[in-house]
Amino acid sequence: MTIASDVNQVLSTIKGIEAQLSSMSMNTSNPEASKIFHETMLVIGEIKTDVQKRKTQLEIEEPQYKS
Amino acid sequence: MNEWMHIIVSSVLFVVTLFAITKIGGKKQLSELSFFEYVSGITIGSIAGEVIMGLDGNLFHGVLAIVIFGSFTFLHDLLGIKSKKFSEFFEGKATVIIKDGKVMEENLKKEKYTIDELNSLLRQKNVFKTSDVEFAVLEPKGDISVLLKKELIPITPKDLNMPVAPEKETYTVIMDGNVMHDQLASVGKNKGWLDIELDNLGVTIENVFLGQVDSYGKLSIDTYDDQLQIPSPQPRKLLLAMLNKCQADLELFALGTESTSTKEMYNKNAKKLQEAINKVRPFLKE
Repeated sequence: MTIASDVNQVLSTIKGIEAQLSSMSMNTSNPEASKIFHETMLVIGEIKTDVQKRKTQLEIEEPQYKS
Repeated sequence: MNEWMHIIVSSVLFVVTLFAITKIGGKKQLSELSFFEYVSGITIGSIAGEVIMGLDGNLFHGVLAIVIFGSFTFLHDLLGIKSKKFSEFFEGKATVIIKDGKVMEENLKKEKYTIDELNSLLRQKNVFKTSDVEFAVLEPKGDISVLLKKELIPITPKDLNMPVAPEKETYTVIMDGNVMHDQLASVGKNKGWLDIELDNLGVTIENVFLGQVDSYGKLSIDTYDDQLQIPSPQPRKLLLAMLNKCQADLELFALGTESTSTKEMYNKNAKKLQEAINKVRPFLKE
């Protein structure tokens, strides 16, 4: 396992979490819960962007591990 | 008219009359909260019984008496809403029996309760020691309401400063294998959603005795076949676990990297995620 593949794995987990939060915020009939889920989803989105950037950087540095 | 016919006719007549009177009186009459409602409830009942079985009496006299009693209670309810003095006079006020853990002897005497009776009332509220009581009042209806001392009141999340997620009412969307469309609409779902959820659980709708949806949109069901094992997915708990794993991974990457800027980026994101987790955690408990 390389760093690049680890980062890749976390990135896909983050994407999964983001999608699930989005669907939960739609499904709940509780406005407060819906708001919190949505806010968390936005935070996760920011983290996703950062990790994505790091992934691109790693691919430039170590092109042999590009997936 | 022979006696049999008389009883049948009068019973039917009084069932109708009593039904009408209680319908007009409403829930308040049934609760027998006040002295007046209690008395009129008993009287209406006994008049009806008396006239049905008393074979010589005139039926309509009985009906008249019931209507008079019924309208008096109705009038009493109406005036009670309008005037506080009126309702206090007719319904009586609550009497303070225990204050600061001390029995108010004069009030007890005024209400003609013995110590044994007071003890018995307290025991019905699970209180065996008068000194455990901060405040107790005797309600007009004759039972007692008890406020325990603060240290004896069961602990609540508020006492522990525990954040809890609000939980709204659940809706029953399947009854006896039939879809309740109005209920389904009030949770903002439709039949298609229900079909998908049931498919995920691996049951058909004919097999479901009871299905309820909570405010997080989760369907829980009870099937006719009690041998059937129904999976109970906990998506919110799983999501919390995934969030925690992600947070740990970010911290791990921060430790693993040698580049300062990358380390900073990971640390910042790990912290941000931790804060988000803390905020969302109460909502992810199920």
